[in-house]
Amino acid sequence: MIYSLLVMSSPASGQCATTAAQFARAVLARGHSIKRVFFLDKGTSSGSAMAVFPQDEADRLAPWVELAEQHQVELILCIASALKYGMLDATEAQRREKPAATVHPAFSVSGLGQLVEAASAADRLITFGG
Amino acid sequence: MNVILHTLNASPASSACSDCLRLLASGDALLLLGDGVYAALAGSADRARLDASGAAVYVLDTDAAAAGVLSRVDGVTIIDIDGFVALTEQCSRQLAWY
Repeated sequence: MIYSLLVMSSPASGQCATTAAQFARAVLARGHSIKRVFFLDKGTSSGSAMAVFPQDEADRLAPWVELAEQHQVELILCIASALKYGMLDATEAQRREKPAATVHPAFSVSGLGQLVEAASAADRLITFGG
Repeated sequence: MNVILHTLNASPASSACSDCLRLLASGDALLLLGDGVYAALAGSADRARLDASGAAVYVLDTDAAAAGVLSRVDGVTIIDIDGFVALTEQCSRQLAWY
């Protein structure tokens, strides 16, 4: 089957964003494919190249980067949410005249239409919130 | 199978939890994750409502372990992340409560 994921959970609080990444990996391990992972609201922080987590806690960024780089999973941050949370890719940082890009290159910033299309192209849309 | 998978990631004190319990129907599947795992605590009022709903109730093992309730959820099915994916294979729709 084809899956799409909607991640609204913050990587900074609770376990749910990490669960979403583990779920994505398990989806692939069971022989399914992933059309897209769309990050909305607080979930866009998952794409931060800047966040630093305590050494005794799991890395929240690496599982997503691995999905993108090893399995070509498309990771999209909602642009309206991303800008509010200071999540700018290189193009947006330049356009908005900000000092640095904050989004990891494994992620792209795009519009809500990408969520609609991801949902319609998939057999399953699984939401991770809270 | 046209079964609804409810995923509850909210404490029993939340309106998300009470709304979920109100809509939970016999034959549905419910996966408790995050703070939702507390609803599975044996002997609690919410657990009684879950048992009375006729829904199949599951808890995510890592979240139940993190909450320290793994030994106190007798009677619900403990699943890992692979089991979570299996549930989404069986259920064509998901309702996410959080």
